[in-house]
Amino acid sequence: MPVTPRQPAEAAERAWPTWADLARLAGVLLVAWLLQTTVAPNVRVLGANPDFALIILVCVGLLRGSEVGAVFGFVTGTLVAASLMQPLGLSAFAFVIVGYFAGRYAETADLSTGVAPMVSVFAGTLLADLLILVAQYLLERQVPLGFMITRVVLPSLVLNTLLAVPFYVAVRVALRGPEVLRAHETA
Amino acid sequence: MLVLALLLVSIGMLTLYFRESESGLAHRVQDTALSVVAPLQYGSARAIQPFRDGWNWTADLFRAKSENERLRAELDELRAGVAEELVTQAENDELRSLLDMERKKVFPADARLVTARVIARSTTAWSSSVTIDVGSDQGVRRYDAVINGEGLVGRVSRVTAKAAQVLLVTDQQSYVDAIVVPGAAQGIVAGSVTGDLTLQYVDKKEEVKAGQYVTTSGIEGSLFIRGIPIGVVETVAVQDVDLYQSITVRPFADFRTLDIVSVVCR
Repeated sequence: MPVTPRQPAEAAERAWPTWADLARLAGVLLVAWLLQTTVAPNVRVLGANPDFALIILVCVGLLRGSEVGAVFGFVTGTLVAASLMQPLGLSAFAFVIVGYFAGRYAETADLSTGVAPMVSVFAGTLLADLLILVAQYLLERQVPLGFMITRVVLPSLVLNTLLAVPFYVAVRVALRGPEVLRAHETA
Repeated sequence: MLVLALLLVSIGMLTLYFRESESGLAHRVQDTALSVVAPLQYGSARAIQPFRDGWNWTADLFRAKSENERLRAELDELRAGVAEELVTQAENDELRSLLDMERKKVFPADARLVTARVIARSTTAWSSSVTIDVGSDQGVRRYDAVINGEGLVGRVSRVTAKAAQVLLVTDQQSYVDAIVVPGAAQGIVAGSVTGDLTLQYVDKKEEVKAGQYVTTSGIEGSLFIRGIPIGVVETVAVQDVDLYQSITVRPFADFRTLDIVSVVCR
């Protein structure tokens, strides 16, 4: 198996996508949007709806770095909120942070164990849920913590984490190109 | 820097969304997006329906036993109440004729029922809403009541040409003027983030018992017509320190399996 030389993390972080890469990212974005707006509202497992958009966002962050992750998160969050009648800006805010940190994780951590997608989706779901929880509190909505943790956060954590690996494989195939994660794995 | 800018733009959008009116830019963008997504959601809902039915059928099997026992107990109670109800009904008819009042139907003559299919459900716990495949082209307007064979489902909260969003009665921002029958206790049925319904603002002097039905009151200014069934009183608690009774209501409509609904267009 040929060994890809390790890319310096800084270079990978600053490398902006090419036009071909942008087209692939747009394709992945379209799929994420379609899944989240048409399939997710009709699928409920373990009492939670899968968050396809967030899972795909984390995978993109892992494969393309923090800045691409943040931009992808902003666009995905805005599109999904607009289509599902959610408050505009809330998902975008949470997704920018999740996308950025997923990318930073890939750029800085040792991902050789191969559980990075699951760990990242788990952490990303937790982070997004917490951010939205805080936002709801600030918007003076009811936030019964016990209910939220047992009936909302835990089911979505389990469901999203279980879906992480197949989605990561699919996104990696779709994006092909140089990968931040691969660079770290083969270092 | 880029990340910071994106975060600031997100906060700006959020501020705009909550500050502007329903006809503002952000809301118009959402209406347009719903028009685009609705046909796709319709297709997706139809494709997923057999799998959803299969899943619900399996889940229902586990629930059936306890549900059966509960229904048997409820049937016994209802049988006991029938005789009493017949006497009350006779008295009621007599009083109505004395007062020369016509018995009102649940829906007024000018009301029109528009049948719709649920094509999407809210994906967050923060809101309980569904999207239906009829809109202003079919005569649906904002605030129209939405019902199904079991009772009140909610009200139309957003409308586009071919789709509409329905705020379910279980949503934490839903409030419905209600009355307990038999009896005259009035209150407001409120939803919650947990999906539970409570009947609020019922005076402590009013006698409310578990098993009584809750329907829309139709009082002047209410969005809903009088007499649409909402649910059944589940528990009643009265505490000395509270001004009102604490009443929980079990809705008639099963929001988990909502598929076909009717919009009451006026």
